[in-house]
Parts: sequence; structure tokens; C-alpha cells
Amino acid sequence: MQTMTLTINGTEVTAEVDERTLLLEFIRDVAGYTGTHNGCLEARCGCCAVEVDGDIVKSCNVLALQVAGRSVTTVEGLAPQRVAPLEHITTQSLAGVYRPLDALGAQDDDLHPLQAAFHKCHALQCGFCTPGMLMVLKDYLEDNPEPTRDEVRKAIGGNICRCTGYQHIVDAAMEAAENMRPVAAPAADG
Amino acid sequence: MKPFSFHSPRGLGEAVDLLERHGPGAQVIAGGQTLLLAMKERLARPSALVSLAEVADLRGWRYTDSGALEIGAATTYAALAEAELTGVPLRGWHTEIAAVAGDLADRPVRTMGTIGGALCAADPRFDMVTLVVALDAELDTVGAGGGRTIRAAEFFDPVGGTVLRPGEILTTVRFRPQDGFSGVAFEKFRYRVFDAALVSAVCALRLGADGAVADARVTVGAVHPAPVLATTAADRLVGGTPTAVDTVEIGLVAADEVLPAEQATTSVRRYQRELIGVLVGRAIARSHERAHTTTAGS
Repeated sequence: MQTMTLTINGTEVTAEVDERTLLLEFIRDVAGYTGTHNGCLEARCGCCAVEVDGDIVKSCNVLALQVAGRSVTTVEGLAPQRVAPLEHITTQSLAGVYRPLDALGAQDDDLHPLQAAFHKCHALQCGFCTPGMLMVLKDYLEDNPEPTRDEVRKAIGGNICRCTGYQHIVDAAMEAAENMRPVAAPAADG
Repeated sequence: MKPFSFHSPRGLGEAVDLLERHGPGAQVIAGGQTLLLAMKERLARPSALVSLAEVADLRGWRYTDSGALEIGAATTYAALAEAELTGVPLRGWHTEIAAVAGDLADRPVRTMGTIGGALCAADPRFDMVTLVVALDAELDTVGAGGGRTIRAAEFFDPVGGTVLRPGEILTTVRFRPQDGFSGVAFEKFRYRVFDAALVSAVCALRLGADGAVADARVTVGAVHPAPVLATTAADRLVGGTPTAVDTVEIGLVAADEVLPAEQATTSVRRYQRELIGVLVGRAIARSHERAHTTTAGS
């Protein structure tokens, strides 16, 4: 057992962990951020993707101790707060709960432009792969603010979605890229 | 995974000491992208892991006074792929190394995966394994008994694995200076973008003053347990200027040399044999084109 500290979404988490603990297990079981999903556990599906010091990794294939002391951003860190509690979101009430999508991204507590675009373009069905898709695309779009559709497809080559057929995910990424462009430079520091 | 102890040395000397102290069960972990997969399957069962994450000397690259390119073994693919954005841009055919690093596995894996990790894992399907042999790189190692330099072709055991001794750490990958080659091209085929190569092929050419090929290396990877130099095919290139017809023919020579028809008895092997011909042909054509562009430009 070793004691280690990670900063997850800005909060320091210290725990005594078994050496075998994967970063994924630290995030989910120790820190309780269950938005990061355990899909295949062999670095294939990409559902567990998180950022470590601003670089995207598959957290199921990294030991927590390998990144001890560093700063992790999970999907929960994308939009610091939800716009509304989940139970209030129904098809009928969506318009009332969310601000108009065009206004999203303007304030700290709004959805990240990628999340807003995923919502708008219907880029998720079951949603299991979505956290990984969002994190990988965030990392990619900050590096390449003006991608082509083919480049987006290649960027999410390590993420598997069994529902959408990827079409709407690529749509959402292209939409988000447009909205992220003016803020891409400061966001890269986060 | 089997239980193990985990150590994060701050320097190379400390890492060597730790490996020696923990004996043959100790293993180096760089990015861990291959090792952790093997550990989860219990194909690898190290009793101690010595992480190179905090050893800063092993990351990054530099040009030596003689113009050789030295890449630290724990340099990640992501760092290499973004070489043009960092302080030390790669020059000439060295950019092919960055191009290869940016087009393997997938984006998150490239963040963690390292060039040295791939070489030590010595999976023949890994692009870097083929590339270092193709470019005749030198590999520096350090161990309890001191350091040594191994030529890439001798680093990989023909039956698989490496010649690294227990407790030895790969520290540097050294590529020839610019004038070592005039043009280099790496080609591979994989089913999906993140898959390992089914066949990879590299052609590295040096042109003489008359514009003809003075020296050629043709290398085929992912077919045998270690990369194979197709010397007959390379010899065919020397002294001439390959035409489109030649590239196709020499590709077939390489296929005969690396995977003769009588050995290609399964459908996968037959497919690989076809791929060798096509990929070697493409690599020759592209490296030759680059060699001429470089020579004309300089």
C-alpha cells in the first residue's frame, strides 16, 4: 500500500491505495467520480479517457501511482455545475431547463460547448461512451480547432460507440469546433 | 494483476540501483501501455516496478555536434508527433520519425506510450521496432555493469524479444545525421487505424553525387519475430534510379526474400506476402521522391 494524492477536477484527493490500483479505479472508487466509465479495461474502447495535466490518457491503462501528484480532469470537470438536476430533464421541460443552446458556453456553470453540441446533434443514445468521447474530442479540438470530418474520425479512432454509428458524434464535434474556436487558446491551459 | 511494489526514482542511477536491489523480478515501466495490458492478463508478473516517469533525462531529444539525433527512451509518441511545436524541430528525413509516432495506436495511448517502451516490448508489429532497424539506429543502455551501445538490428533477438540483460535500462535512441540518408519512407497496413501493423515496410535511400542510389536499406516488419532486412531487394536499388516498374519488381523481390511463397501457407501469410510487395514498392517510390526533393532543395 502507498499513500498518494491526485487533484481531480480541482479537488485534492489523498488515499492509501494498493499498488495495483488503476487510475480509473482511483477516479471511480476512491474519488467517486463515476462519470469516467469502465468499458473494456484493455485500452480499446476509450470510455475511460481523462486528461492528466491537460493530456488525454486511457485511465484503465495507467496505474494511479504512475501519475501521483498530478492533476486530472474528468467529464465532471467539463461543466463545473449542471444546469439543472437530472430528474428535471424531460423532453417536455428541456426548453425551460436549459438556456437556449446558442447561449451555452457563455458562463462558467453552462455546459461545455462539446456537451452542448452533443445534446443539440443527438450524438449519444445510451451514453456509455460519451464521457470518453467528450474528453478525447476536447483534447483534440484544443490542439486542432479547424479539423475536417476525416480528422475527427481519426481522433476518436480509439473510442468505440455501439449506438450512434459515429455520424452524429462527428456532427457534434464539427459544431463544437466552431463554438470552441474563439476560446480555444485560454482553454488549452486548463 | 499479481501484487508488486512500485518505485519512482528521480534519477537514472537510482533506477539502476532499484532494479539491481529487487532482482530479476523487477521491471521498468515507462508509459506502461504494453506492460499493463500484459500484467492484467498475467502474462507479465513483475514483483517490482521501477517507473521512469520522474527521470527527466530520458525525455526529449537533441542534435549532437555531429548532427546525430538522440531521442530519450522515455519520450512519448505524443511529444515526438508534435515535434514541430517544440524547441528542437526535427530536420529532413528525421521528420519521418515524428510522422510514424503520430500515426500509431490512438491519441490517448500516444500520450503515455514511449519510443523506448515499444522497443523493449519488442512486439514486431510495433512501428518503432521496424523503424529503428530500418534506419540503423544505435541504442544506448545502462546497467549495474555500466553502459553499452547496441545497433538496432542486433538489439532484437531473431526469435523474439531483445538482448537486454536483467536490470539494464534503454536510455537513448540515436539516429544517423542528416547525410546518413537522402530519403526515408515508412509504409504500413492495418485493418483499423488503431490496430498494430499487419505488415510494415521502410525504405531508406542515400543518393550519390550523380543522383543514382548509392546506398539502400529495405526493411520489413510485423512478419517475423524481429524486423528483417531485405538485402537482395536493397542491392537491386543500388547504382540505379528506380522507375515505377522497378519499384513493383523490387517489391516482389522483397516478398520472395522475406516470406517465400512456400512459407506463405495460410491465408494471413499469403495476404502478408502480397502486402510486402505492395508496401515495399510504395516505400521505395516515396523515399526516392523525397530523396530527390531534398537533394534538389539543398
